[in-house]
Amino acid sequence: MKQILKFENVIKRYPNGVHALNGVSFEMKEGEFISVIGPSGSGKSTLLRTINKLITISEGTVVLDGEKISDKKGKALRSLRRKVGMIFQNYNLVYSLSVLQNVLHGRLGFMKGFKGIFGIYSEEDKKKALSLIKELGLEQFAYNRASDLSGGQKQRVGIARAIMQEPKLLLCDEPIASLDPSSAKTIMDLLKDMTSKRNIACIVNLHQLDVAMKYSTRIIGLSKGKIVFDDTPDKLTEEAIEKIYGTSYENLMLGGEKSEKEDSFNCA
Amino acid sequence: MKKKIPLIAHDLKKIYTIFAVVVVVLFIVCTILTNFNVMSLVSNGDAFWSFITNDFLPPKLPKASRIPGVLSSVLVTLALALSSTTIAAILAMFVALFGSEKVSPFPKLAKVVRGFATFLRNIPALVWAFILFSSLGIGTGVGFVALCITSFAFMVRAFVETMEDVSQDCVESLLTVGGTFPQRVSQAILPSCLSGFLSWFLYCVEVNIRASTIVGMVGGGGVGMTLFSYIKNFQYDIALSIILLIALMVIVVDQVTNILRKELLK
Repeated sequence: MKQILKFENVIKRYPNGVHALNGVSFEMKEGEFISVIGPSGSGKSTLLRTINKLITISEGTVVLDGEKISDKKGKALRSLRRKVGMIFQNYNLVYSLSVLQNVLHGRLGFMKGFKGIFGIYSEEDKKKALSLIKELGLEQFAYNRASDLSGGQKQRVGIARAIMQEPKLLLCDEPIASLDPSSAKTIMDLLKDMTSKRNIACIVNLHQLDVAMKYSTRIIGLSKGKIVFDDTPDKLTEEAIEKIYGTSYENLMLGGEKSEKEDSFNCA
Repeated sequence: MKKKIPLIAHDLKKIYTIFAVVVVVLFIVCTILTNFNVMSLVSNGDAFWSFITNDFLPPKLPKASRIPGVLSSVLVTLALALSSTTIAAILAMFVALFGSEKVSPFPKLAKVVRGFATFLRNIPALVWAFILFSSLGIGTGVGFVALCITSFAFMVRAFVETMEDVSQDCVESLLTVGGTFPQRVSQAILPSCLSGFLSWFLYCVEVNIRASTIVGMVGGGGVGMTLFSYIKNFQYDIALSIILLIALMVIVVDQVTNILRKELLK
């Protein structure tokens, strides 16, 4: 399998002195589905945003699809960013535009001059966008304003926009944190399905351990800007979890069957 | 001695007391400094009232031949306010893009842009008008420029804040698709901020209707100039009817902009 991403001893210091990333190294291959878990402030969002240089790293190197993104600028940076789709917790849509327009935003990176500025997309792109919207079950909303949709539907638009980029890597920053359990499952199923069908590598920031265990092929545990766990989900023991979150297992609210059993036991 | 139970915290009471004392002291100091005595209003009350009842009341319409001229001067004032605000808004939109650290392609310049806007804004339109009259002469053109400068400066600030509130998230998402700065502006910032921009624009129109009347009085043309010419000729009763006309104009414009703003929020 081809390598798609490589972190080499990446350090990110914020001007206020916080070390968000403190020597992070890992590699990622095509077809992997990695979940990044860790407490708030452990550097998960920073990690994700350094991959497409939304945040500039202080030291180390990030190699994306064979190219160092850390020293790219301007046009080269933009064309490298196209290879990386991103999905956000707050969906980050342009709410005053239609669903179709939002999905087509995924093509902007490929467009030049006034066509890109005025949003004059090719018929081919429009056809592709519409079929993608249909695939995600939003066909009756294609011409609705994005603000009219529910949370789960907005996130599906976010996925469609990212897929329109034809990315090699998909970054998801807590994609289900603001969704109800049923929409959250739809979104995770879609992410897994869309990425494996198109051979897109995927990194997901998550707070839900059970979701991470169920969907990912590999889990990275971050704590205070350092990787403290990096292995397959079946290796994620109670000890490892305690190390990641820095507290004992009983103090964690965990979803999934195990804790449900305990809950019912406690109630009885 | 029995101590009364206080209703509010001791510290708060102290602050209220200090505040009241400061207000009284300030009033006394200002009265002395300005040589203004409130009592003079009461003692000279007769002259004041007779001025109002004899000279101002009842309002009198200007000569029939003059009425079309007065009405067209109202239109001039309205046009002055609308056109200056529109031009200022278009300029402000472009400049505001460079006034926000989060949006601008040159974040380091953002502070300079905002500082410049603040500087322009802190000089009132009336002062601009006087400066421009002495250099460019009297006329609606100068009134237009004076209003343009102040509303431009105001809208730069307002637009920058609107952009920072609204568009941070969608700008980030267009960055990740590899969009250029013009693409981010036209595809994310403008659509998501347009209603906010229009709302500020309408507010600015309201302000400029009033301001253009005043700028007109000092030589900028329009209804302000008409009003001032009647006052100069001691025709206070006709002046009053023009004042009422101005009030009517302002009220109508406020109502219209209110309706438009409500429509925008839908």
